[in-house]
This record gives sequence, structure tokens and C-alpha cells, in this order.
Amino acid sequence: MSGSTPNTPMDFWYNLPYESRQKVYNWMLNLILSIGLVIVLFPIYWMLATSFIPPTELFSVPNPLVPTNPTLESYIAVLDTDVLLWYRNTVIFAGGVVTLTTVAATLGGYGLARLDIPYKKTFARVILFGYMFPPILLSIPMFIFWRQIGIINSLPGVILAQTATTLPFSLWLMWQFFQTVPYSYEESSRVIGCSRFQAFYEIALPLAKPGMIAVAIFSFAIAWGAYTIPSILLTNSSNWVLTLGLYSFTQAESVLWGQIMAASTMLVLPTFAFVYYLQKYILRGFQATRI
Amino acid sequence: MSIRESIASGKLHGYRRGLFESLSKRWVFVALTVVPALAVFVFVNLFPMMWAFAAAFFEVGAFQPTWQWTGLENFRIVLNDSRFWDSLRRSIIFAVGSVVLQVIAGTALALLLNRSFSFKRAVRAIALLPYIVPTAVLSFVALWMGNARYGIINQLLTQAGLIQEFVAWYGSLNLAMPSVIVTSSWKFTIFVTIIVLARLQSIPPSIYEAATISGASKIDRFVDITLPNLKGVLFIVVLLRGVWMFNKYDIIYILTNGGPVNRTTIASIYAYRTAFSDFNLGRAAAVSTLLFILLIGAALVYFHYFEPSQEVRVE
Repeated sequence: MSGSTPNTPMDFWYNLPYESRQKVYNWMLNLILSIGLVIVLFPIYWMLATSFIPPTELFSVPNPLVPTNPTLESYIAVLDTDVLLWYRNTVIFAGGVVTLTTVAATLGGYGLARLDIPYKKTFARVILFGYMFPPILLSIPMFIFWRQIGIINSLPGVILAQTATTLPFSLWLMWQFFQTVPYSYEESSRVIGCSRFQAFYEIALPLAKPGMIAVAIFSFAIAWGAYTIPSILLTNSSNWVLTLGLYSFTQAESVLWGQIMAASTMLVLPTFAFVYYLQKYILRGFQATRI
Repeated sequence: MSIRESIASGKLHGYRRGLFESLSKRWVFVALTVVPALAVFVFVNLFPMMWAFAAAFFEVGAFQPTWQWTGLENFRIVLNDSRFWDSLRRSIIFAVGSVVLQVIAGTALALLLNRSFSFKRAVRAIALLPYIVPTAVLSFVALWMGNARYGIINQLLTQAGLIQEFVAWYGSLNLAMPSVIVTSSWKFTIFVTIIVLARLQSIPPSIYEAATISGASKIDRFVDITLPNLKGVLFIVVLLRGVWMFNKYDIIYILTNGGPVNRTTIASIYAYRTAFSDFNLGRAAAVSTLLFILLIGAALVYFHYFEPSQEVRVE
């Protein structure tokens, strides 16, 4: 430490050795990050906690932060409803949207990046303009068309409809992604005798894996939580996805908070494992897109 | 068949001939790659939009199949409806408020996560969680936490002495809109974080090292290296988030359904009501056409003034 005695806090600060200052600085940033994590985690925790609080104790204020006598009552009550059917529908629905989006976006993105198609740059930009139309209004004409061709109230129909909200960004993302995959690899494979398709399938596709996973996760996040379009297109409760089912726990006079939180927990928790294992792909996928 | 096999089995010539005949093959390939995506896009995005543009000029009831030509009547009624203009103003407040909050918080979170600290993998995974929490779940949890009589937020804030009596976060006239903005940002901030964090990781650390050696301070490094690298992502993130928040429907529908006293009735809620409460599909189509034109206009202005001509890549 230098000789002068610190008078103001700033003097004191700058008299500290570099390492200590760095340490303090880092701790401050860690503190801010922890506050952020608390903000992220608390609603999730409270959903979990509420699902274990006995429904009769929910309305005794103040609630303890940790449930005092946890019970599975809400879960048992939820399982009495159609929740497992809705869960199955959600899984099929999300699986369908992810598959359709990823396949169409990967093929389309490759085509846009590699083939000489007139106006393709304009087209790739115009695609994002597909988002400028409010989805809730997109679902009205869909309702009418879908009814005419007989895919209303069916999972394939709603999968196709939901793709409207995932495909534009995914296609654009894959288009960007394939631009970062060096074309020279495919060219050299063509020179030694690969067909165009082989070059795509065996060279470009494996290199595009992070992008495909990013697209899959993006469309999964949208499909798993989709509400607007299914609420218009699925009128029959046996075809509902779980997000629509949540609404059935709100009744005219009371809201069954315990059951809502139990069903929500069932919907949310399994997906958290994905994020943990796939986070490096999430980042790598969006990274190479250079957006 | 792998490359090596095809070379080994002497099929080389066949494929090379195929290469020379690429014109015919090219169209097959176009059909295989671009056409499926294009077909889905046309079917689920373009067709419904075209339908709405057309329906805007007709009187379309929800129950009768015949369309009655009315010309610009729908637009005239909507443009003279003060509720439309109010809802539009609220949409803009909601979109701008959310985007500002999300971009600032999301970028800050990404910068915080891009450092080295212990339990990095777990901490990052936790920070990314909100993005896959379904909007409906978030809305119900928020309603429960912000409940005016039993909500945990009210309990905690009272215990901490920050508020004297319980607050109806989603039910009071002045707090409803800010509450809705904060609630939706809890989830959608993470979209910004993911994309910004991905970009931050692709900035080579050697640049920062070189800058440090040349005597650049932390702030210098942030302004001269980090920010220029983020320009491109922030441009597209602001555009996408702005459009998505402007057209957001589900979260507000569950949280407040436009209330209290229409304080959160944004344009998408107004359009929904026109279609499903007034059963006037033609007028709802006119509303969405107007919103679409407005967004396209805003996007074009945005592209014109803010699109980075060439993304700065310091490598």
C-alpha cells in the first residue's frame, strides 16, 4: 500500500492492491448475479412449494416460506382430472412442432445458403416479416381453413398451425448458420465424387448440428408453452394440451391454486433437465449464427 | 454410402457425370430443400395473412359463411374508434417498456454469466430456465404470487416494511401495466441473454488480453470491444422482441384479460374481442391488417436507420 493515508473512501479504494480491488469487484458482480438468480428461482420455487402446501392452508396469511406439513393432496387431486391425457397431447404436440420445424428449417436453410435462387436474400429477410402479423389473428383464418380441410381439433392440425410461430426465425437461423459452415468441405467432397445430396448429408449436416439443436430448443420452448393457437384450434377438451388444461382449474368462485401449481410443476420440471444438458448446444447454436 | 466407399467402389465416374448434369439435378435439389419450408410457410403464414387482408374489405360474421363487400368501411370504423387508438397506445407502451427492460437486463445478465466463477455450468443452466417455463404457467404463478390477499410478494414486502398494506399488483389502475411488463420480462429477458451470451463467447479472449496489455481500462474494453461486437445481435434482438411483444396475447389474456378498466387492453386483446366478443371477423381482420402495416412501416424505418452496414468483427 502506498504511503499516503486514505482520507476519502475513493482514496482508500485506490490505495488497495490491484488483486484486492479485483477480488472486491468480482464479489460485487457475483452478488448482483446472485440477486438475479434469486429473481429467476423464486417464482419456480414458490410454484413448487405451493403445490405441496395443503390446499386448506393456502389462504392462511402469512404463508411460511417452507411448507410446514407438505402433502401430495394437490397432485392426487390433479391426477383425478384429464391431466395425463393433456400431458400426452402436449408431448405429441411439442414433438411434432420440433420435428417439423427442425426438418423444414434445416433443409430450407441449406437450400437458401448454398443454392443460387433468384431473390433469395430478399426472401430470407421477408420471412422475418411473417412475425409482423399477430398470431391471435392468424388463428382465425386457420380455424376456418382447418375446419374446411378437416384438421380442426386434431393434433396434426394444431402442430402445423403452431409451426407458423417457429418456422420463420428457425429458417432464418439455419440460413445464417449454414453460411458459417465452410463450403469448401462440400466442394472438395464433390470433387472426389460425392453427389450433391451426399455432400449435404455427410458433410454439411453433421457440421450444422449445433444450429439444429438451437432450432429444436427454440421451437420446443415455444411449443411446450404454446397457448394462443391451441386455445383457438382445440375446442374439444380431450384434445387439449396441458397449458389449456391449467385454465380448467380456475372456477367461477375460486381458483384451485394448489392444483394449478401441481400441474404446472409436472409440466415444467422435466424440461429443466434438458436445459442443463443442452446448454452448451444452446449457446453454440446461436453463436455460430453471427447475428 | 460414405465418400470413401463410393470412391473405393469405382462409382467416381458416375457421380462426376452427375455433377456435370447438375442443372436437372439442381431443381430436384431445390425441390428437396427449399420447397418444403416454403410450402409450410405459405400454408401457415402467407395464406392466413392473405385471407385476413381480403376479409378486411368484407363484412364477415362468425356464423354465416357469406362475405358482404363493404369496401373500406371496416377500416373507417376501426380508425374512428377511440378504443382502437387507446389499445394501440398501450401496445406501444407494453412493447417499448418490455423491450427496454429485457434488453438491458438480458445483456447485463449475459455479461455477468460470461465471467469465470464457481459452479458456472449449474448457474448458467439456472439462469436460462425461465425461457422454457410456459407462458401460461408463468402467468398463473405470477397471479398467485401477486394475489392481493394471499400473495407471497405482498407478504414478503410487508414483512420487510416496504409496503404498509397489501397491493393488488394486477388489479390496480396504475400498477397493472408495469406489473404485466415486469412479469413478461421475467421470461423473455432470457431470450436476449441466450443470444447475447452466445455472441460474447465467440469474441476471442486474445483481443481483450491485447487491449489490457495496451493499457485499456475495463470501461475502454467494454466500449471498444464488447459493444461493437454486440451491435449485430442487439439489432436483431430488438427487432424480434419488439415485434413479439407488440403482438403478445396469451400472457396479458391470463394475467388481466385487458383489465382493470381496460388499462392493459393492448391491440391484440382489442382485436381478439372484436373477433370473438363482437363476432365481427371482417373488422378484426382490418385491425390486424392495420397493425401489420404499422409494424412493417416501423421495421422498415428501423432497418433504414439502425441496420449495421457490416457487422464489426474484431478478429
